Amino acid sequence: MPPRMQSRSVSNTLLPYLTSTSSSSSSLSSIPSLSSTSSQCLSRQFSATAAPQAQTKLRRQMFEWLNNEGSIFKHHVPGETNYLTRLKQRGNEGSETPRPFPNNQHFISEPILSEELRNEVYNRVVEQKKSVRVVSVELGIDMKRIAAVVRLVELENRQRAQGKPLALPYARAVHEMVPTTPLAEKGERQTYHEPINDLPAHPLTGSQIFYPVPESRSFNRVEAGRVFSGAPAMEHSEAAEISHPSDLAEKIMEDPNSIGWVGKGANARQILQPADVRIPHPHLVAQERDRLAHPNERLAVADLQSKRLERQDALEKERRERLQARREKKTTIVSPEDSRFNYRIKDTIYTTETTGVDGRGSKATGRRYGVPHRDRTRGEVKVPTRVEA
Amino acid sequence: MRNRASNTLSKGKIRQSWSKYNLYNMQRFRSPPTTNRTFFQQKWSAKAASRAYHGEQVREGQWKRMFNHRIRSVIPMNASDLAADDGSLVSSGRGSGLDKGGKPAYQTRPTPYTHMTFAPLERRLDVAIFRALFASSARQARQFVIHGAVTVNGQKMKHPSYLLNPGDLFQVDPDRVLYATGHTKTPYERRQGRLTRRKGKAQGLEGAEEAEAAPEAEESKETAKEETKETEKEDTKETLKALLAQAKSVMSAGKNTLAPQRKQELRGFQQAVRRVLSRSESSTVLADSLEAQFSQLTLLLKAKRSEKNPEKKDVKPRPEDAFATDRGDAELASAKKDTEATASDKLSEAFAQATLGNEVDASELSDEEFDTLKRALTQMRDNPLDNSKTYSTPWQPRQYMSAFAFIPRYLEVNQNICAAVYLRHPVARPGSAEVPTPFGESIATPAYGWYLRRRW
Repeated sequence: MPPRMQSRSVSNTLLPYLTSTSSSSSSLSSIPSLSSTSSQCLSRQFSATAAPQAQTKLRRQMFEWLNNEGSIFKHHVPGETNYLTRLKQRGNEGSETPRPFPNNQHFISEPILSEELRNEVYNRVVEQKKSVRVVSVELGIDMKRIAAVVRLVELENRQRAQGKPLALPYARAVHEMVPTTPLAEKGERQTYHEPINDLPAHPLTGSQIFYPVPESRSFNRVEAGRVFSGAPAMEHSEAAEISHPSDLAEKIMEDPNSIGWVGKGANARQILQPADVRIPHPHLVAQERDRLAHPNERLAVADLQSKRLERQDALEKERRERLQARREKKTTIVSPEDSRFNYRIKDTIYTTETTGVDGRGSKATGRRYGVPHRDRTRGEVKVPTRVEA
Repeated sequence: MRNRASNTLSKGKIRQSWSKYNLYNMQRFRSPPTTNRTFFQQKWSAKAASRAYHGEQVREGQWKRMFNHRIRSVIPMNASDLAADDGSLVSSGRGSGLDKGGKPAYQTRPTPYTHMTFAPLERRLDVAIFRALFASSARQARQFVIHGAVTVNGQKMKHPSYLLNPGDLFQVDPDRVLYATGHTKTPYERRQGRLTRRKGKAQGLEGAEEAEAAPEAEESKETAKEETKETEKEDTKETLKALLAQAKSVMSAGKNTLAPQRKQELRGFQQAVRRVLSRSESSTVLADSLEAQFSQLTLLLKAKRSEKNPEKKDVKPRPEDAFATDRGDAELASAKKDTEATASDKLSEAFAQATLGNEVDASELSDEEFDTLKRALTQMRDNPLDNSKTYSTPWQPRQYMSAFAFIPRYLEVNQNICAAVYLRHPVARPGSAEVPTPFGESIATPAYGWYLRRRW
């Protein structure tokens, strides 16, 4: 028997450790070094088993992608979005809507307020003392967002005054990555940040109702709302008073209790109002109607609108004050001299509405007297449902 | 809770995370096939894929209790449409409007309701923190909450499952946010941090000894004073030239520059600025605001803004925001845009002239040069080198962050203080849904169907 030729390569068990360094280094550089692979081949010329790979195929493919196609995502380009959909759009470089997810066509990365616009909002509301409603229409920003912006800028100012740490480089980076709505320069028209007259879809309108109406009769939004909420049709005299659904908006603004009710007891609910009433800015519809009625009198229309807004603000303010006064009347605040606490004492109202038929309603005071709450038992996690601001 | 949310390549699941593994998985994700598969199988795989992304930290039973088949939606209303028609036009004729050439009176895009299946989970505090770009994954956001770095309406909130109410303001500790969204430290930086910590400890121990060595310190102060006197004698032109060159190298250093080298440059620039400012008479300059420092600096160097600059108006200055972050990115951007490219060319030319050419009066600076100086100063103040931090300094965004950077409409975020307000619940509107989900119709609808199952 001729002498066997000794293989110079080490045993298979050791191989992964020995080859791991060379393959991991090749993963870092985009082009794998030829010399290392060829030397491996030479050393293993008598081995029948395939060389075990330090990196799985998937891993190798991932790094290949990250080093070639995916390398554009490593760093952002200031002022541009850098989403995965960029790969597909490469051919037609256009200003398409920014979509972060290639499979989801329905999610759009919406612009955020730029730093200047945010400060402008704060300036108009706090320093110029404009109402939130007016600023919302001027800048095209939702009223809730305006309130939030004022709150956040106030908090920021306080933190700056206290010398607390801020994340300024982070803020700059985020504003470079995400689309922003800039503040219009002087003389230019401000681009609207978001739609401000969103009508929430009411659950009652989800059902399909077959409601026969004569073709000769006009069937408007007010009547449709009554049909959806199951209310009887209006009297002719009542219907004749409403020339347009937006008339109702002004009526309800003056007297919110003028909305009728349907059903009895626990099933009682308010009649569904037309869209003109339920949108956040009903006064815009009234303004448009003024414009249609007086197409050539822009000044007069603007005058009417400003008066309408003033009146609305006054009414809202009065209502707020009335509510506050009522709340204060109900509670007595006792603050002892040597105490950190204020004690707010309210009178208990013991009626069927507050305590329920069996006296154990969830709003009743001392409900289930003598029986401990479930949250007192062992192992019960109490996650708060709200935090008072 | 054990973290099973690893970004494995073999499973290829998409997670709420900014990792590069996740980016790769998202890029290669394909909807599961439907041919030859039962409805149950289709719904099962759709549910599995979407639950791996949406609230994977929430137990299935907990999520089932949160699920609601009713989905919030809004329709944007046009005031002029409402004013023009009281609704009778739409309902005229046989109930659906009069036919005008086959086109309906109102054209609407379909509302993607089923994309909103996981809307209740977006109310969770940990998910909202991730959506506000304060953490690099939902798991990390959860950890921030548990570790007490998050407040809701000014009170510390330790429950990641807290459901935000509309109007709630939540705030994360800025240091944590910078750590989560910034580059990780290199081994060199980690070592530097260790060294400074050790030094601090040693100094703490030698506190008593130092009191004895006070005269020595005074001596060193005197020598420092002498040094400043010497520098005063130096030609201001020379100083300005050197300072500009340093500012330029600081601002243009790319990603490829080694970390220690970059740090040395930064530190050198910092020292140079200090040296110049220490010449000023008022002792508070070093602690003053940036504007004061800048004006003092230019005053000391007798630098003037050159008035002959006709091309300046053509090149629109980039907003302040675009500056002072990542130098590598600034370079990229300048390479991208033509106008910016010309600006940077001019800048480099000016610098070349300032540093080499003797004929150019160095104390007369162009606007770009002023900008560069100011930018370098801004960065020094806002984004300082500090090895005691848990992230790489000066701060720069972590890699692959931009591919995941978006802020949904139902949040209003103030990045400066790392606070955000949850405005309202997410809604669907014609053509778009507000819940960020990487899955399309072919997964969203079967997943919604899966959770409807109990209700049929």
